[in-house]
Amino acid sequence: MSTSVSQEVLTPTALWSPAATLSPRVRRLRDQYWSFYTREYTNEVRAYTTGTPWDHVYSPWNWTNVPEMMMFFEGSKAYLLADATPVDLPAGFWDEPLIVRRAIFFKRVIEQYLPAQILDGELIVGSHFNTALSRTLTRSEAQEFSKMEKRFMDEVKRLNRLGVGNCGAVPGHLIPNYPRVLREGFRTIKAEADAVVGDPSTSKERRDLARAISICAEAARAFAGRYAGEAERLAAGEADPQRRAELLEIARICRKVPWEPAETFTEALQSLWFTHMLVMAAESYPGPGLSPGRIDQYLYPYYKADIEAGRLTREQAKEWLQCLWIKHNYAYDFQGWVGTNQGINSSFGQLITLGGMNEKGEDASNELTWLILEVIEEMNLLEPKPNIRLHAKTPAPLLQRVVEMAVKAQGSPFLLNFDENSIAGLRWEGLPEDMLWDYAPVGCLENTLQGCDRSGTVDVNLNLAKAVELVLHDGRDAATGEQIGPRTGDPRTFTTFEQFFEAFKAQLKAILELLIAANNIADAGRARFEPTPYLSAIVDGCLESGKDITAGGARFNFITVEGIALATTADSLAAVKKLVYDDRAITMDELIRALDANFEGYESLRQTLIHKAPKYGNDDPYVDDTAREVSRYWTTLAFQYTTPETGKRYRGGYLSWNYWIAYAPSTAATPDGRRRGQYLSNGVCPVNGADRLGPTAVIKSVGHLGLETAPNGASHTMSFSPSLLRSEENRRKLAALLRAYGKIGGTCLQLNIVSPETLRAAQKDPDSYRNLLVRVTGYNAYFVMLGKEIQDEIIARESHAL
Amino acid sequence: MAQSLTGITFNIQRFSTEDGPGIRTTVFFKGCPLRCAWCHNPEGLSPHPELMWYDVRCIGARDCLRACLVSALELTPFGMRIDRRRCTLCGKCVTACPAGALELIGRRWNVEELFAEIAKDAVFYETSGGGVTFSGGEPMLQAEFAAALAAHCQQAGIPVALDTSGAIPWERYELVLPHVDLVLYDLKIFDPERHRAGTGLDNARILENARRMAGRGIPMWIRTPVIPGYTADAENIAALADFIARELPTVQRWDLLAYTNLGQPKYHRLDKPYALEGVPLLSREEMEALHAIAAARVPSAVWSGATRVEAAEAGAGELPGRLQCG
Repeated sequence: MSTSVSQEVLTPTALWSPAATLSPRVRRLRDQYWSFYTREYTNEVRAYTTGTPWDHVYSPWNWTNVPEMMMFFEGSKAYLLADATPVDLPAGFWDEPLIVRRAIFFKRVIEQYLPAQILDGELIVGSHFNTALSRTLTRSEAQEFSKMEKRFMDEVKRLNRLGVGNCGAVPGHLIPNYPRVLREGFRTIKAEADAVVGDPSTSKERRDLARAISICAEAARAFAGRYAGEAERLAAGEADPQRRAELLEIARICRKVPWEPAETFTEALQSLWFTHMLVMAAESYPGPGLSPGRIDQYLYPYYKADIEAGRLTREQAKEWLQCLWIKHNYAYDFQGWVGTNQGINSSFGQLITLGGMNEKGEDASNELTWLILEVIEEMNLLEPKPNIRLHAKTPAPLLQRVVEMAVKAQGSPFLLNFDENSIAGLRWEGLPEDMLWDYAPVGCLENTLQGCDRSGTVDVNLNLAKAVELVLHDGRDAATGEQIGPRTGDPRTFTTFEQFFEAFKAQLKAILELLIAANNIADAGRARFEPTPYLSAIVDGCLESGKDITAGGARFNFITVEGIALATTADSLAAVKKLVYDDRAITMDELIRALDANFEGYESLRQTLIHKAPKYGNDDPYVDDTAREVSRYWTTLAFQYTTPETGKRYRGGYLSWNYWIAYAPSTAATPDGRRRGQYLSNGVCPVNGADRLGPTAVIKSVGHLGLETAPNGASHTMSFSPSLLRSEENRRKLAALLRAYGKIGGTCLQLNIVSPETLRAAQKDPDSYRNLLVRVTGYNAYFVMLGKEIQDEIIARESHAL
Repeated sequence: MAQSLTGITFNIQRFSTEDGPGIRTTVFFKGCPLRCAWCHNPEGLSPHPELMWYDVRCIGARDCLRACLVSALELTPFGMRIDRRRCTLCGKCVTACPAGALELIGRRWNVEELFAEIAKDAVFYETSGGGVTFSGGEPMLQAEFAAALAAHCQQAGIPVALDTSGAIPWERYELVLPHVDLVLYDLKIFDPERHRAGTGLDNARILENARRMAGRGIPMWIRTPVIPGYTADAENIAALADFIARELPTVQRWDLLAYTNLGQPKYHRLDKPYALEGVPLLSREEMEALHAIAAARVPSAVWSGATRVEAAEAGAGELPGRLQCG
């Protein structure tokens, strides 16, 4: 039992400092990373063009899920193109099909243009990977591309403005088959591709893809070779014999991997980094959601063999891992000049996954799992973002270790994934039973299979609460009167809640279809004009199907629709059901007039809506059943649609990113008592402050949703006051809470351990707390970078927790 | 038979982490034989329902005034005045208030209903080694109901802890104890006269019941509220320590709970005087000194709660944190 309740106000150095045990090398490299404004090397975007006047080096639909960027799209396009380095193209370039052009261009750039720089003292090399690559379009292709882009942009801007949602063809957000590259090398990938190239019985489309893959595999080898050459050059001029030996070892490794199979732990780490960084270069997308997956599993054989052979010590392995950790963070140089903190305002989410079950359902954690936990703790960096898979057989010491870290760690908060609940969703969407155990999340929390699955996890974002507004206004936007959904009639004429609910469903279906229709344009546009054969080379199914990854070539293809504001929607529907239809305490007419007045002059009615109707998050079947019905309605509906161009199936999930704030002003007042502009609910969390019965009740409400029909997984954050977790005894209770979560809760959980005092101190003195991270929803954000409103919101939330 | 039994509670707290092992649901029974000056649950003293008014929630809608059939409510510039002699506890004002500013404290349950409420968190008890804690008030004032409920829980595999003042005739305990896994036993003041002055009752029965309970081999956790002017002195703690060490062999742990003033607003809401008005929290040094005295005889002694300096720094950081989602 604790003997103290003192509430320390953590200083920034305590929040965001590395462990004292870091080696001088790692400490220096880490400090160097944090010196963006002064360091010479930066990994800022380098643009490369074919030199044609119609070239495109930037695709807005890659970024339309970040609506606040929309106003910068035209500027970014023009600026990047103006800044682009023309690339010397080989003869016959324009005679090649697009996919081969993209491969040749990629190879040219990484072989001859992208700098190959080795930083002083580093062990893992590979420094420049943020690019804006030409789409290598012909004039007529470029015209078609622009036309589709305009058609798409007009509609996505409209839907975003109206608060319906957004969508786009977003890169990243998958786990390539890195283990295969480690095991077999690009040599084997190229050999397999070459066999297809030489197979006259196969289609031209497939042979073109195979050629492109072959070129990209060769490119990876050449790229690594440049680093080998650079290491040798540096070694020749290196006075320090120890560093010289290291550089020669780096050179040896880079001559070998990723072309050849990796045979040692350090070769495996270097092969992994090259392969990973080149995905970012190939997609011209700086890392969001591009996830390494279960690294403690596929790196373990290399680690174990080296340790057993005496080639490697645990401490050496840790230092190499720490060098790898730092590299991931350079993705943020992409926007280094934006705002403060080197442009970091939330995590990109190169998600690594630890623990979880093996194919027999037994626990898969190993010594490397524990070593990586130490690395996470000592580095205290944002990337790669850690996730741990928990299941019924997770050993108690491991669970306790994770809880202790989650409670302490401010810099590297943990995402906890629950195997049984996550796997239920992947089973529901029809993935093969024998592969489910090996799933891993990408980005924030989105469940996918590894190496063979692109699930477009943040491509479509649907504001469920908008359907509430529409049903109350006969399908029209309340603010502008613009007709968005069908005319379901004047709700004053509805005599039963069932009638109201059917009309709501019709509105929800309509806005889902609007977003899907818009997204289908982006999906088709990317498939036609933005093939990424390098990525196709390392995702299973592309070479077999003869289709690029963007064209649905991966073995499994989904596009995820992320639902926003589930709790706001459920609470609103429950309030209508209870107060208008069950209790007849208010009339529909009164309700609509109050909502249209944004509750001005209707405070009594607003209070009634808040206090006299049940709220999701309190283990109350009255409203939890409604939440479940809404969730299962739209997710099973979404699953009936596929993209016409690429055959990807839409699937549901809950990840409201920052949209629960962004769409607050464009969503009218809602019958749960929320005024226009007040935030919507987040992920599958209750409306802020609506849950009154503590975490067990919240967990049961979440579990009641039946989340398998949202196979992407569901963002759920629970904030704990530090006072609750001060004693070891209570931290054991938290571990037990997590065990129960796995039995009856959702797919994943983030723990927020932040005291209001710390937050208030940060608000008053932002400069001293620039590094204070808070978890917002499935991602982390710098507190001082948030607007005053949301800062206050977070403080209120935390204060309420006491 | 069980169906006809009913009990009255004033609160059900889920995810209770401070009332026994594991994750628990604490059922607060309404009604208590003691009148401890420092009681932080004054709404648990009376065995009858009571009307409470929350000033911070009131929006001045006056629906309650119109709903009251006996004119027991008056909204004054200083807040709601409730004429508790007129009020019939009909609950019409509670229903009428849009803002939830009026609340009728005290809910009646039959055994099945309350068991269903407790069973909601069965999974959490199972993974944490937790269960249900009967607290109050004094659950033993409703011994038949408590016994039936505890038997029901026991049958369902839900461990039961009984949090009691000890101030109830032993025969009543005989009803409940067969269904109880752990007793949280309050020992406040060792000296009988001071005990009477602080709580309204002599402690002879309390001490005797403690001995008997230990004699039956029931695991016990002793809880002592450390209250300035009442229990927070070296002499008292030493005497309690001596008693526990000599006579209570089944004690597994002794909690010294630092005085909290969080109950104060509730007194105002119930129109009751608060004896410790303006009394500051203890300092950390005072708590540590008392803990040292306790631990010298009873090594399992621990202390927790808010202390003065930290309280000034941290506000209400002493409460077990509730959590929020987002």
